Amino acid sequence: MLKRPAWGHQNWLLMPAALIFLGAFAAPLLYFLVISFWSVRARIMRADFTLKNYVATWSDYYDAMGGTLLIALAIGALTTLLALSFAYAIRFKCGRFETPLLFLALITLFGGYLVKIYAWKSILGREGILNQFLLWTGTIDQPLDALLYSVNAVVITLTYFLLPFAILPIYGNLRAIRPATIEAARDLGAGRWAVLRDIVIPQCEKGIVIAFTFAFLITAGDYVTPRFVGGGAAMMGHFIELQFSLGFNWPMGSAMAFTVMAVSLALVMIFRGLLRRGLQP
Amino acid sequence: MNRLTGQLGDLGWRVFALLTAAFMAVPLVLVVLFSFNQSALTSLPLTGFTLDWYRKLFSLGAFWPALWNSLIVAGFVAILSVAVGTMAAMVLARMASRRAEVLIGIISIPMMLPALIIGVAMMSCFVRLIDLPLGLPTVILGHLVIAQPFVILIVFSRLATFDWAVVDSARDLGASPLHAFMTVTLPIIRPTIIGAALIALSISLDDFVITFFTIGAGNTLPTLVWGMVRTSLDPTINAIATLLILLSVGSTFLALRVSSYRG
Repeated sequence: MLKRPAWGHQNWLLMPAALIFLGAFAAPLLYFLVISFWSVRARIMRADFTLKNYVATWSDYYDAMGGTLLIALAIGALTTLLALSFAYAIRFKCGRFETPLLFLALITLFGGYLVKIYAWKSILGREGILNQFLLWTGTIDQPLDALLYSVNAVVITLTYFLLPFAILPIYGNLRAIRPATIEAARDLGAGRWAVLRDIVIPQCEKGIVIAFTFAFLITAGDYVTPRFVGGGAAMMGHFIELQFSLGFNWPMGSAMAFTVMAVSLALVMIFRGLLRRGLQP
Repeated sequence: MNRLTGQLGDLGWRVFALLTAAFMAVPLVLVVLFSFNQSALTSLPLTGFTLDWYRKLFSLGAFWPALWNSLIVAGFVAILSVAVGTMAAMVLARMASRRAEVLIGIISIPMMLPALIIGVAMMSCFVRLIDLPLGLPTVILGHLVIAQPFVILIVFSRLATFDWAVVDSARDLGASPLHAFMTVTLPIIRPTIIGAALIALSISLDDFVITFFTIGAGNTLPTLVWGMVRTSLDPTINAIATLLILLSVGSTFLALRVSSYRG
């Protein structure tokens, strides 16, 4: 019998999505990579092939780079751990509250990136709720200035922003484990730790890697949070953005951006390798 | 004894889940609450109900054009990303799963990259290489890049349980591919498509960084908020933030409802 192809057997349907990806993302990114080898003379960009932007990235910004990677590591670890615990808790420990709690995490996904940063700016400020609460409980007798404009504020705000995005992939993986499997393992004498290590974590390894990678890369390239709540926390994103808004040194900004992403990706790969090795029986 | 520690452990997990949920919800609730509070300071105690901050916001000259720009961009992004993303997901769903996975991985790269890098790369390419004037069309293009992976993932996972036999029989009975799609496939996956459109809508409404670099002149709601946070700290920002929350959380909420998407 003659089989007539339906939509879905016609590969040209992939074309529009591919064109958007290639034309508005891949090609600009490639061009952006090319200009990282260019030079700037008298504020004018010139086609060139030089590595001096990369050298300058390391020599001028090594401390910001180190700080950024440390903060990204802290936020990546904290976000992933919180997301894993939350996903585990709602999947196996909260019974009929599973759906409402998941729903809450999902609707805050796109609850406004700037709005979330602004929310923490007002919570952590000198007149903010947190200071008021601490004064009221008598924990402190002077409002703390250090709550806002500190590394802690960056960690809290970005973890807050990234958490729902990290919960989603991990929870998606955990759904494949039935509570009965865990009960069976427990009945057969497996300890809590063994259950976690041999059933739960292997099942959501993919989700954990996605959550950590996402949190790490987004933090490494963020500039809005450090600027709003970070004060002195000078992160690479901040300096990259300055090359475009003030410095007009695009080649430099490009070299910095690619360096941060390359180093971050390398670290994420190491994390992935460690996780995989740790899970080997 | 063991049973008791087990129960205590379960209780601990529940308390943890509730605290985390509170951590996720409370800041947004506070923003909304303070937008209706009389005091110009965003601190407790609440001093009484007022709509003054909304009046002040609505009389702000820059507000209405920013709202329009946001809605125009988000509308185009929702419609275009769903059209493009659904077409792509249809092909991917009928491919060998290994190949589909690789292609989805590639097309999802923009989701994992910081918006700053996507934004400046697009801006420098458009401005220097192809001399494309910045404006709402370039913003729409930028948002399509980050919204289409979400649409493709959502529609693709719905199609994983789709019964292709119905479409094939429509084709065998003489329906054109388009006709078969419109009368058979679309009605079945319509809730998912509406859900995906609403997610794309809220991604677009929410985006600040890519918009900032690709808009040239003018404002959307998030770039207006950026300007306001830098210059002032009064609850007018809470009012505009509440509107943003309402628009983006509202459309995500609707999306989850219609598509009954669960993770």
